[in-house]
Amino acid sequence: MKLLSEEQIETVDRTARRILDEVGVKVLDENVRDRLAAAGVPVQADERVRLEGPWLDARLQEAPCRFTLFSRDGKNDIALGSGRCHFGNGGRVFQILDMATQGFRPTLLRDVANTAALVDRLEFIRFYIIACQAHDLSPAHYHRNDFYQAFARTTKHVMGGVDSLEGARQMHALAARIAGGEDTLREKPFVSVITNPISPLTLDGESLRILEFCGRKGIPATCAPAPISGATAPATLAGTLAQLHAEALAGVALAQFLVPGTPVLYGAVASTMDLRTMNLAIGSVETAMINTCSVDLAHRYGLPIYASAGITDAMLPDIQAGFEKGVSNLMLGMAGADFIHLAAGMLDSGNSIALEQYVIDNEILGMTERILRGIRVSDGTLALEAIARVGPGGNYVTDEHTVENMFEEFFYPTLAVREQYDRWTELGSPTPQTKAHDWVEDTLRRSELRLDAALVEDLRNRFPEIVDP
Amino acid sequence: MDLSALSEAVIQGNIEKAKELTQQAVDAGEDPQILLDQGLIMAMDTVGENFAKGLLFVPQMLRSAKTMQECLAILQPHFQAGSVTSKGKIVLGTVKGDLHDIGKNLVAMMLEGAGFTVVDLGVDVAPEAFVKAVSEEHPNIVGMSALLSTTMPSMADTVRALSEAGLREAVQIMIGGAPVTAQYAEEIGADRYAPDAGSAVIKAKKLVASA
Ligand code: B12
Repeated sequence: MKLLSEEQIETVDRTARRILDEVGVKVLDENVRDRLAAAGVPVQADERVRLEGPWLDARLQEAPCRFTLFSRDGKNDIALGSGRCHFGNGGRVFQILDMATQGFRPTLLRDVANTAALVDRLEFIRFYIIACQAHDLSPAHYHRNDFYQAFARTTKHVMGGVDSLEGARQMHALAARIAGGEDTLREKPFVSVITNPISPLTLDGESLRILEFCGRKGIPATCAPAPISGATAPATLAGTLAQLHAEALAGVALAQFLVPGTPVLYGAVASTMDLRTMNLAIGSVETAMINTCSVDLAHRYGLPIYASAGITDAMLPDIQAGFEKGVSNLMLGMAGADFIHLAAGMLDSGNSIALEQYVIDNEILGMTERILRGIRVSDGTLALEAIARVGPGGNYVTDEHTVENMFEEFFYPTLAVREQYDRWTELGSPTPQTKAHDWVEDTLRRSELRLDAALVEDLRNRFPEIVDP
Repeated sequence: MDLSALSEAVIQGNIEKAKELTQQAVDAGEDPQILLDQGLIMAMDTVGENFAKGLLFVPQMLRSAKTMQECLAILQPHFQAGSVTSKGKIVLGTVKGDLHDIGKNLVAMMLEGAGFTVVDLGVDVAPEAFVKAVSEEHPNIVGMSALLSTTMPSMADTVRALSEAGLREAVQIMIGGAPVTAQYAEEIGADRYAPDAGSAVIKAKKLVASA
């Protein structure tokens, strides 16, 4: 899907490069500023750093165009830069919806475990992002614990934000132990880290320190700007796109400056503000449009993108959630984004999750992936032979061509209601929401640890601060 | 003197035009109190009504408020000391460990628009920094913002620090931010919670009136 012509993309890119060169980015870390100055980068007294074209290009050229975000069992490896789209969930919310009571409560460590267990079982959610804040954890050993619960419940690739450099260290020590050593982890990183610049055009010190740490340890990362059109970015889509692109390129370039060659994703988490009220409108159609265009901007530099879709401002898994998610998932998918986060589980402008929503989103993503697979056209699928065999007036139900093709050709939803009326009432008039609820209950009841017993014992001995949810 | 052109410029948020008209009126010897009451404040009342009716968007309202502020700056020297007072003073900041400031800035802009004097301490503001600002600025209200559920406890720490410094009784405390609730405000002994910038202004007015 293309919303901008080649020429328009070029104009946006040119504007972003002018922003970096003429306006610059604020780097809130003296040490990094000094190192940049020593490398000949113009650093101003107001903490602004101007990234000139040749310097920028040299850094961007060091960024790998292809790398893999590994799963622990090799079944869900994410090959970035391969042209394939991978959807996953998003983090780190602070409340969860209880579908039974329609009430919200603060999230806990067990919600990290449960969401990881669900994602582990949901085919089209290809990676797991630590979904929520564990309010029952103390800050001292926070990231040892939230990452532990994620690894314990899913073998899919785990990504998460860390609050500090110390948090990154805790996560890394744990992952290295699971991998069987730092080098094994470096070879096949099954965990990655999210950092964010602060829009407009600001990078804080801790994010840069975390990026550098990840780079040195071979842990993939992103430095993903989240500009809000009308608040922290211009109230035009083109203007927001130009600023977003500048911020995203600055993130990649600085990561390369700190550790050349480090695997880093170009990040784009744009949204818009409803200027009638100043409420965030993260499910807006313009949010989807900006994020769609960012894919071409990243790919212009051959960089894999950490993109955003499937977000909604709806409070409940309702009609609004369905249409906002459906539209943006499809747009980002058709734009060919490598890695699309926020696409499962979330509600309430990114403040809440619902367990049922993961299952519903899995179905929306299944439909999206089906569309992306496209239509196979070959002698076999054109089916001239079968059409001749069945002839006028016949039917295809029992023809061998049907059986040969029916599994691959169609997406079979498990939540969408397709029962005929009588059967549907007999079943108690289920809806996608009630079916999702039942699936969640059943799946969590039967979920098992994804770390073997000996490893669990080793980890609990080595890291006694790990607690049970 | 006909002040409708001035009112119109404020309603339109046309800063240059409004300043020019204010300056002309002052030069022509117009009473600053009349300019204020019948030009600026009446215009802002219309703006407020239109906003409440959904006829204006937030940026338009903020521009009008800014226009009024700039005109007020021209009038200020023509009043005897103390006769134009602000609606109240508020020390505002995002609490320690938290860098989110979009909502806090919005609250600051709306309060300024409504005639409050705002001392913005920025982001990542430690309890001690709030205490220091209160003892130096003597505000009517302390406003705290938190967007992370993990930084909310710093609000409680700040309330406690103000008590320990003997300043708690001297100020009203108002808190806000997406994860913050009215119940939490009660729990930590803050005076008010407001869910958005519009209600923050209404509640701030009430707090000052009740003090
Ligand atoms: C934009 C944003 C960012 C930007 C911030 C840019 C900036 N300059 O502020 C960036 C990208 C930097 C960022 C960073 C992070 N963020 Co953030 N962010 C958001 C986001 C998407 C929007 C916040 C926002 O600006 N809303 C719009 C404004 C207008 O609304 P508001 O702030 O709620 O303000 C209104 C009211 O609350 C009220 N109000 C606000 N303050 C006050 C004060 C007073 C006194 C009163 C009366 C009223 C009041 O009035 C305002 C106007 O109506 C939210 C999600 C969300 N939907 O809220 C996540 C969110 C808050 N972030 C989150 C997280 C986790 C982070 C990070 C930790 C990410 C990470 N690395 O893992 C970092 C933390 C950095 C730090 N130390 O603070 C989580 C918080 C979860 C939690 N535990 O509570 C959220 C919910 C997103 C998510 N699901 O992950 N973030």
